[in-house]
Amino acid sequence: MEKVLLKNIENPDSADIGEYRKAGGYGSLLKALELEPKAIIEEVKKAGLRGRGGAGFPVAMKWTFASSDPKFPKYLLCNADEGEPGTFKDRPILEKNPHLLIEGMIISGYTLKAEYGYIYLRGEYPEAKHILDRAIAQAYENGLLGEKIAGKDIRFHLVVHQGAGAYICGEETALIESLEGDRGQPRIKPPFPVNVGAFSLPTIVNNVETLSNLPYIIEIGGEAYSKIGSPDCPGPKLYCVSGHIEKPGVYELPMGTILKDIIYTHCGGIKGGRTLKAVIPGGISTPVLPPDKLDCPMDFVNMPKHGSMLGSGAVIVMDESVCLVKVCYRALKFFEHESCGKCTPCREGTGWLRSILGRIEDGGGVDGDIELLLSVSGNIMGKTFCPLGDGAASVVQNFIKHFRPEFEDHIKNAGCSLKN
Amino acid sequence: MITVNINGKDIKLEKAVTVLEAARSAGIKIPTLCYHEQLEKYGGCRLCLVEVEKMPRLQTACTLISADGMVIRTETEQLAEVRRGILEFLLINHPLDCPYCDKAGECELQDLVEKYGTAKGRYREKKRTVPESLEDPVIVRNMGRCIACTRCVRMCEGVQGASAIAVINRGGHSHIEPFSGGRYDCEYCGNCVSVCPVGAIMSRLHRHSYRPWQVKENIETVCPYCGVGCTVVLQVRDDVIKRVVPRIGSVVNNGMLCSRGRFGYEFVGSSERLTSPLVKKNGVLEEATWEEAISLVANRLKEARDGYGGAAVAGIASPRCTNEDNFVFQKFMRVALGTNNIDSSARTGYAGAQSFIENISGQGATANIISGLSNSDVVLVTGGDPTTVNPILGLQIRSCAGKGGDILTLGHIRGLRHFNPAELRPALFTETLLLEGILHSLKNTKELPGSNPKFEAKIRELNISPEDIMKTCGVSEEDFNGFLKKLSGAANPAIIIGKELIQSIGSSYKLFLVLAINYLINGRVYLLSERANEQGIIDMGCTPDSLPGCRPVAYAEFRRRYETAWKSTIPEKPGLSIFEMMDSARNGALKAMYIMGENPLVNIPDSHASETALKNLDFLVVQDIFLTETGKLADVVLPALGWAEKEGTYTNMERRIQRLRKAVYRDGMEDWKILSEVAKNMGVKFNYADAEEIFNEIRRVSPLHRDLTYNEIEKGNALYPYKGEPLRGVMEDIESHKGDRPEAGDKLYLGLERPLFHSGTLSTKAPALLQIYPEAVATISQSTAEKFSLKPGDKVRVTTGAGSLELPVAVDDAVHGSLVMITNNFEGKGAFGLIEYIADPVTKAPVIEGIEVHLEKDGTV
Repeated sequence: MEKVLLKNIENPDSADIGEYRKAGGYGSLLKALELEPKAIIEEVKKAGLRGRGGAGFPVAMKWTFASSDPKFPKYLLCNADEGEPGTFKDRPILEKNPHLLIEGMIISGYTLKAEYGYIYLRGEYPEAKHILDRAIAQAYENGLLGEKIAGKDIRFHLVVHQGAGAYICGEETALIESLEGDRGQPRIKPPFPVNVGAFSLPTIVNNVETLSNLPYIIEIGGEAYSKIGSPDCPGPKLYCVSGHIEKPGVYELPMGTILKDIIYTHCGGIKGGRTLKAVIPGGISTPVLPPDKLDCPMDFVNMPKHGSMLGSGAVIVMDESVCLVKVCYRALKFFEHESCGKCTPCREGTGWLRSILGRIEDGGGVDGDIELLLSVSGNIMGKTFCPLGDGAASVVQNFIKHFRPEFEDHIKNAGCSLKN
Repeated sequence: MITVNINGKDIKLEKAVTVLEAARSAGIKIPTLCYHEQLEKYGGCRLCLVEVEKMPRLQTACTLISADGMVIRTETEQLAEVRRGILEFLLINHPLDCPYCDKAGECELQDLVEKYGTAKGRYREKKRTVPESLEDPVIVRNMGRCIACTRCVRMCEGVQGASAIAVINRGGHSHIEPFSGGRYDCEYCGNCVSVCPVGAIMSRLHRHSYRPWQVKENIETVCPYCGVGCTVVLQVRDDVIKRVVPRIGSVVNNGMLCSRGRFGYEFVGSSERLTSPLVKKNGVLEEATWEEAISLVANRLKEARDGYGGAAVAGIASPRCTNEDNFVFQKFMRVALGTNNIDSSARTGYAGAQSFIENISGQGATANIISGLSNSDVVLVTGGDPTTVNPILGLQIRSCAGKGGDILTLGHIRGLRHFNPAELRPALFTETLLLEGILHSLKNTKELPGSNPKFEAKIRELNISPEDIMKTCGVSEEDFNGFLKKLSGAANPAIIIGKELIQSIGSSYKLFLVLAINYLINGRVYLLSERANEQGIIDMGCTPDSLPGCRPVAYAEFRRRYETAWKSTIPEKPGLSIFEMMDSARNGALKAMYIMGENPLVNIPDSHASETALKNLDFLVVQDIFLTETGKLADVVLPALGWAEKEGTYTNMERRIQRLRKAVYRDGMEDWKILSEVAKNMGVKFNYADAEEIFNEIRRVSPLHRDLTYNEIEKGNALYPYKGEPLRGVMEDIESHKGDRPEAGDKLYLGLERPLFHSGTLSTKAPALLQIYPEAVATISQSTAEKFSLKPGDKVRVTTGAGSLELPVAVDDAVHGSLVMITNNFEGKGAFGLIEYIADPVTKAPVIEGIEVHLEKDGTV
C-alpha cells in the first residue's frame, strides 16, 4: 500500500513546508477550498472515515452534528494527547509530517466553519511542540493559515496547547476543561462538545491520525478511499508495535490487517524466537489476547467479535519471560495514578485493585483474592463517569479470564515463580 | 408537559427536570451524596445510578434530563448491589471514627451505609490517612474523611464566589485545600461547612462539645449583625448556643451565611456580659440591686425633666434592639420625659440618606428585594464594598455577574474584583465630578421620563463638559464610554449606595446625582445598612422628627393620633439629632441622657467631643449587654437581655419585618421591660406582658403597620408597606450641598475600613471572629509602606487634627496610595477618635473624606 500518513518521513527535512509542498502537500487544501463544505462532508461520509482515537466514531456524523448547530464561532480541537500506554502512532505525524496534520485541520476548519483550531499536545512531547510551532509559523508565512487563506476570504487560526501530563485529558471533555484552564476532569454529557464544547461553543475534537487522513480523502475522493482495507471501516491505519518483537515500530497498513500478520509478517516475529505469551492489541485498556486468538482483523468492527478492541492500534507483545500478574499490577498502578478522582468507583476502585494485585505479586495473596478482584472490577465496570474506570476493570477481568492459572499459582506459591 | 414512569408510577412534569428532581417531586427517594440542591450538578458519587429502559448503561439520576416516555427504575436488586459497591468504595479509605467524629448523627455517608451498606468489610489493604488540620481559626479539616464530592468547592466557587478552595492532587489522593495551601485565608463564610456531607470540613466552634441528637430545638430567628436580616437557625444545648446554621429556602439568604452570622454568636454566652445593675458611687461603678438602680434612674430623670424641661433630656436608641424595644424607648422619651430628643447611630448616614432619597423618589424607595439583585442586568455599585458591609447582598451581586449581568463600580471594589466589573476609578476627591459627567452624558442619551418635574428641572440645570471631567478624574474616554453604554442600555438596573458615598464631601449632592442617574435608567436603589435593625429604629419613630410609621412629628394631625392612643402630649418641635445632643451636652443645656444599646464613643464621630459631652451631663444611664466605653462614663448601667434571649422583631434594609426568637434563657429583663419599670417608677404605666403586646400597639398606632400581626410576620411576607400606607406627596424642595473639593496633594488621608469580620460591640466579643481578625489595624498601600519603611505588623502612630492612635500596620495593594484605612470597630482604637464632626448640611451625615493623616513609625519620634 502506498504510504499516506507516513509519506516521505524518511526525508530528514520532511517537517519543512518546502519539502512537503514539493511532494504535493497543500494541494488537497487548495482543492478543498474550491468545494462546498457540504460536499466535503459528503466525501468524508463516502470514505467511511472513522475516528482513530480509539472509539471509531464515524467522522462525517460528528461533523454533521457540529455543522448543524447554529452557534458561532466553532472550535476545532486536535487531540494529540497520545497517552494510552503502548501508543506512539501519532508521534511520527507530529514530528515528521506536521504539515499533513495542519493541512487536514485547515480543511476540517473550512468544512466545519470553525475559525480557531487548537492542537492539544501531550506534555511529554516537547520536541513535537517545537516542530509544530515551526510548521504553523511556516503555514502562516505561506498564507495557508490566518485571515486570508490562499488569498480567499477564509480564516483559520491554529495554536498548540501543551497538556500537563494527565492521561484523562485524552478524554475529549476533560481535554476541553484542561484547554480552558480548569482541572482535567470529564464533563457531564449531554450536552456533547459538538453543541457545547470549548468556551461553551460547538467544538469538534478529532485525533491527529483522523485529521491527517483528510488531505488524502480530498486527493483521491471518498469513493476510492473507501476501497482501502476493511469495507466497514476503511483507510490506512497506523499500528504501533512494541514489546518482545524483532522489529518494533510504527507501521502504516490497511485497516483490518490480521494481528498475527502484523506480528509475524511485518514485525519479524517474537524477539529471539522465544514463545509468545500474550498480546494487548490496542493499548493497555483493550482486552489482552492469548496466542491462540490472534487471527483477528485489526479494525473497529472485527476486534470486538474476537474478544478485544482496536483501541489506538498499539500492539504490545509479551513473551514467556513476562509475569502477567505483574503486568496487570503495573497497568492498575497506571490507572490508579491517572484516575482523575471525580467518580467514586474509579477513584477508590483502581487503588484497591492495585493493592490486591501488588500483594499477590509479592506473595501475600490469599484464597478468595481472585474472586475479590473480579467482584471489585465488577463494581467499577459500567458505573464510572467516563471510560477510564471501565478500562481499568477490563484489564483485571481479561487477564484473569485468559490467565487465571498464573494468578492461582502466585497465591498458591506465595509469589511469582518467574522471579529467580 | 412530559410524562416519565418511575417504578411503575407515571409522573407528569411541567418541564424537563432531572430524573432525580422528577423522582423527588413524586416522593421517590434516590440516594445521593454529591448532589446538592444549591449547587451545580456533578454526577461524581454515582450513588444515584438508576436503570433506564432503552439505555444500555446505568444513568445518574442527578444529571439525566427527563424525556417524555422515559421508563426508570430506582429500586432493583441490581441497583441495591451497585449502591452497596459504591458505599464500600467510599468506606475503604474512610476512617471509621464515627464515635469520635462530630458529624456522626447527621452524616450523610453514615446514614446511607446504615440503609444500603453491608456490615462486613472486605478491605485488607492499608488505609489512606490525612492528618487533621487545625490551621484555620474557625474551621477544622479532616481530609481523611473527605469523599471528594466537591460540594464545598462548588459552593465556594459557584455560589459564594470566593473561589478559595479547590480539589488538589488526583485520583485517590484528591482532597480539598485552599489554593494558597495552609490556612484558608478566605471570607470564612463557612458555607463549605454547610454542604459537607461528612465530617471533613466542620466548624471548630463546637468541636467535641456537641452531638446533633442532643439538640432538642432548632430555633429560627434573625441574624443580629447587618441590615440584610438573614434567617439563622440556632441549635442550643443547655441554654448555650452550640451552632448557627442557615436554612435552605429562607427568603433572604436561602441557605447562605457570612462569617459574622455563622461564627459570631459566642458573644451571647460571653463571660464579659453585664450581670448586675451598676451604680456609680464615688466615681466607681458598683453592683447594685435592680430596685436601687431603677429608682435612682427614675428619680434623676424626673429631676432633670421637672427642673429643666423635656428639652434637657435625650435618648439614644439602638439598631441592635428590637422594634418593640425601640418603640417603647421612643414612647418612654416622648411620654415619660416629654421630649423628641431621640436619635440613633443611624444618623451617621443611613437615616439622613434615606430621608433624602424618599424626599425625591417617594417613601419606600429603598424598600427593594435583595434577592432581586441577582436578576438585574446591570448593578452599579457606589460607596464602597457591599460584600463586607452586607455580605449576603454582595452574593446577589456576584450571582448577577454569574448570570451574565454587568457589574459597574465607582472605585475599586475588592469583593467584586473577580466578577469582571467595569470599574471607573476617579482620582481622589473627584467622584462628584465623575457622577456629574455620567449624569450629563446619560441626560443626552436618555429621555427624561416626565414623572417628577421638580427633579427634572434640577437635572436639566446640569451643564458641563464630560471631556474636561474625564481629564480631571483621570478616567479614559474608552472606559467612560463603555461604562456609560452598559448603564444606559440596562433594562433592569439596580444601584447600590454604600456609606462611603454618604460620608463623603458633598454627600447630599452626590446622592442627588446618583438618584438622578437612577431616575434616568429607571433603576432600583439599595441603601446599604450596617446594623440589624437600623431601618426598624427609623420606622419605630426613634428619630427626632418622626413618630412611629414615619409620620412627621411637626404635623399636629399626626401627633394627635399618638397623643390620643398614649393619653399624653407630644412636643411639637422636632428634637435634637445625636450630634446636636452631644453639642448640647457639652454646652450644658442637655442635662440627662438615656442610652440604650449603643456605644456612641466608638460609633459616632468625634469620640473626644462625645466623651467631654457625656462627662458634662448631670446624669447618664446606659443600658447594654456589655460594659462599653460609653457605659464606663455612666452614672447607672443597666444590664439587658440580648439577642437570642428575647422575642421581638427586626426590620431589615428591604423593609421586611422578621421575628426574632428567644433561644436561650438568661436571668434579666428585656430592654422594653427595663424601660417599663423605670416608667412605672416615674408614675407612667406601660402595661406590656410581652413583646407581642407591644407589637399589637404598634399596629394600632402606626399607619404603616396597620393590622400586621406576629402570625403574618411569621409567614415571611411582612414587606413594606405591610398593609398600611406610606406617606405620599411630601415632596420638599430638593436641596443638596456640593461641598468644597480639596486639592489632593502629596498627602495621606483617612479612610474607614469596614471589615467583613467586625461590626462593633457584638463581633468584638465573639472569640471566633477575633481569631480571624484580632485587632484594629491601619491598612496602607505598598507604596506608602515603602515610603515610611513599614512592614505588616509594625506599630504606627496615626494622627489627625482631632486625635491620635497607635495601630499595627497592614499592607494591601487594593488600598488607594493616598489613603490610610482605619478599622473602626474596636474599643479604645476607634477611628472616630480621629474624626471631627463635620456634617453634610442636608443629610447631617459626618464627612469622612479629605481628613489629613500623619503617619509616624513607632519609635522614630
